[in-house]
Amino acid sequence: MMLSPDEVKAITSTIIARSGAEACTVSVWGGDSRNFRFAGNEATTNGAVSSISVSIESSFGKRAGSATVNSLDEAALEQARLRSEEIARLSPENPEHMPPLGAQTYEPEGARYDAGTAYTQASGLAHAAASAIAAGRNYEVGIAGFIEAECGFRALANSAGLFAYDRGSSAELTVTARHTKRAWSGWAGASQNRFPALDPVGLGERAVGKALFPGETADLDPGVYTVILEPAATADLVQRLAYSMAARSADEGRSFLSKPGGGTKLGERLLDEAVTITSDPGSQDAPDTLFGPDGVPKRRTVWIERGVAKTMSYSRFWAQKMGCEPVPFAFNLSMAGGTVPIEDMIREVKRGILVTRLWYVNVVDPRTLLCTGMTRDGNFLIENGKITRPALNLRFNESPLSALSKIEAMGPAERPGGGWGMVSAPPLLIPAFAFSSRSSGI
Amino acid sequence: MTALDSLSLTPHAFENLGIDSQTSLADTALRLAQKSGASYADIRIGRNQDESAYAREDKLQYFNSTFSAGFGVRVLLDGSWGFAGSRIVSETEVARATAEAVENAKAARLLQTRPIELEDIPAYRDRWIMPVAQDPFTVPVEEKAAKLLGINAAALKAGADFCNSQLWIVREEKLFASSRGSSIHQSRVRIWPMFTVTAIDKQTGKFATRASLLPARQAGWEYAAAYDGEAEAALAAEQAREKLAAKSVEPGVYDVVIDPANLYLTIHESVGHSTELDRALGWEADFAGTSFVLPEMLDGLQFGSPLMTVTADRSQEGGLATIGWDDDGVRGTEAEFPIVENGIFRNYQMALGQAQLIGRHRSNGCAYANSPTAFPIQRMPNISLQPGADGTTLADLIAGVDRGVFISGSGSWSIDQQRDNFQFGGQVFWEIRNGKLGPMLRDVAYQARTVPFWNSLDGIGGRDTYELHGAFTCGKAQPIQIAPVGHGAVPARFRGISILNTERKDI
Repeated sequence: MMLSPDEVKAITSTIIARSGAEACTVSVWGGDSRNFRFAGNEATTNGAVSSISVSIESSFGKRAGSATVNSLDEAALEQARLRSEEIARLSPENPEHMPPLGAQTYEPEGARYDAGTAYTQASGLAHAAASAIAAGRNYEVGIAGFIEAECGFRALANSAGLFAYDRGSSAELTVTARHTKRAWSGWAGASQNRFPALDPVGLGERAVGKALFPGETADLDPGVYTVILEPAATADLVQRLAYSMAARSADEGRSFLSKPGGGTKLGERLLDEAVTITSDPGSQDAPDTLFGPDGVPKRRTVWIERGVAKTMSYSRFWAQKMGCEPVPFAFNLSMAGGTVPIEDMIREVKRGILVTRLWYVNVVDPRTLLCTGMTRDGNFLIENGKITRPALNLRFNESPLSALSKIEAMGPAERPGGGWGMVSAPPLLIPAFAFSSRSSGI
Repeated sequence: MTALDSLSLTPHAFENLGIDSQTSLADTALRLAQKSGASYADIRIGRNQDESAYAREDKLQYFNSTFSAGFGVRVLLDGSWGFAGSRIVSETEVARATAEAVENAKAARLLQTRPIELEDIPAYRDRWIMPVAQDPFTVPVEEKAAKLLGINAAALKAGADFCNSQLWIVREEKLFASSRGSSIHQSRVRIWPMFTVTAIDKQTGKFATRASLLPARQAGWEYAAAYDGEAEAALAAEQAREKLAAKSVEPGVYDVVIDPANLYLTIHESVGHSTELDRALGWEADFAGTSFVLPEMLDGLQFGSPLMTVTADRSQEGGLATIGWDDDGVRGTEAEFPIVENGIFRNYQMALGQAQLIGRHRSNGCAYANSPTAFPIQRMPNISLQPGADGTTLADLIAGVDRGVFISGSGSWSIDQQRDNFQFGGQVFWEIRNGKLGPMLRDVAYQARTVPFWNSLDGIGGRDTYELHGAFTCGKAQPIQIAPVGHGAVPARFRGISILNTERKDI
């Protein structure tokens, strides 16, 4: 369920007024979502879910404890408050515990919330799914996918006078077309803050086009290839990189940003000059949330600027210890794009692979950010400036630090969905990307 | 008021949601669903309690206690599913959600050319309450904090630069009721104490971690109390330090011996997921993936060597998927079956409405919804590699290797969407030379394809080497659902496996 700022305040002010602790912070979050899934051109599962949670953190000096309930029942909230105070009293002191932050000023709501999207009807979602499925109607494909519209809010109030409120909506459609006669598949996806901005027909056609691409599937030898990464693949690598930019790990010597002998690589050029990664609540393509977990306001933050590591995330404690301002971790990110269409990139490639998306990417070595994962749902061989045929999926062992260290061309950024977080990323032409083994997985 | 009394305080609404009021809410949902024309309806009403704590070095940084409730109504209307759930559990909300489920089912009809059909399953009015020796939720905060801080102190004392530890306890309680007359009340508790130590070589900038190998379990506090976390943390600190100076593995083809703490995850990813019928039917194609194991391979595919028998169950004591009935209301005894028997693929895991699609009769009890507000889908029961008939020991397996690697604990993992090509790391690795363990190795990952890998199995531990492990947070479906799954395993030997060196010297 959605609550307005006033409705939240009515809850948080009561809890804070009753608090028996030295400090009290109340978080309230909730939302409504509706989704439909389909496979083999048929509906499979669906859901409409309404949620609400209230979490109360109480502290006495450096002792803190928290209790969470998903109820707005007054007695339930009162008992959660008492439980949080009891945990705090019994907990050992945490020297790193920070007192609650006072009142803050936040960026305006921006482009994250759309009231119409928040309450998209079941029939609206089903019709959009039907449009995506219809893209394959006259072809030998089975279409599977997921469509979801949701809205949510998050609020924070504390005994030091802080009140923060943020809300957002999102709509996502991902489509996988699987050829019914031969082993091949194609994927397309998009994530938007507004439901009408989704293009179900276009996404369906893109997925079907990939699945139907003719030609005998190439069984490529593993090795280093020139690749064109579509935005979904780029976004996956950008996340592994940007989500690893915590200052504390870097200062402690256990991050890719740590330097041998001590210190960090902040200010050093780590990637190609074309790489700029930002987060911004005011962004149009991937607007970030307005505040961090303890209410620290989020501002436009440049994490990587023209290949140089510019900012790391700092918790309030670590910022105080290191003598700087806290920088909340960003969940939603934008990697700046370019102007080169994928078709033009393909013309530049003598022999290479077009990668639609990546799958099951995990960090193998946090020091080098070496990742392993698979290509999936639309891997194609490029020869002499043309896509010539599908190419069997390959496992890669590659680090975003080396993959993004040389970029030959970039296209316009988009937000592909299908993953975690909202990341807007461009398609990239990369001269060297290391694949280590074959797979029969289609 | 003692600490214990106060911590056992449960929120009013949670407490009031006793079995009688749950049954009454269930009746409302089922009555309204049937009135709307549903040919089948079910409801899950759940109350979960969880506690999580996190300690970093000598500081307890976080301790949270959560009570959550919720319900989900599922209706089958004119051959289409409709589902709706809510975290607010009340008569009005149940009525509203049931109407939403009906609305979803009506909307889904547009996408339904082939009506969904369900098999008959027996109705039960019963309960299954997991016995817990010591309810972990009644253990004082101080004792839990001391457990974690003791682990961290032992690691630091033994030379670790950092150690973080966590404790995660969940009680899952639920009522399942269906229009076929079932009403099943169940409760279970799982617990997972864990830690990671880090050792750093400041000069070279290298660092190494070693995570705890203690499995998550369905158990009470007695499991955590009996765990000598301090001893394991001290060993882990030494091993992390040793890793920094260990020999970087020479990439190549080796014979490998894998311990249960690593192999359980390989079983999970390559056998557990590949034999899920919904994946084989293409229902998870857009995210979790499909499977290389096709229905025509039943009783024919030589999945592994004759030494390989992998079975499903919901009855192993401590197994993370042990329970009386699944979330479709199918009895847990239906989930006792071989998946791979002496190397041959025998059975898929199935949920309601799937068996008839491959010519079988009914679900074998493999449904789970990760929260009462989630649509139940096919999920793994406990899936375990059975011991060999003789009394083979780990030392026997190692003795049969001239040049190889012994792999312990699970590390980084990745597998393709059809569950064919995988790459797994580990926590600790040792060289095997002429039948004996040699020095520690680092930068090791093994890469293989599922069927050749399991067919290269040529040695398997006996009953005495069996260990019960499990995955606390297996992900599947859209929106993603997290499920706990138990995996029993024995150490095993595989011939001719490709080992990678994961160090990148150029970065």
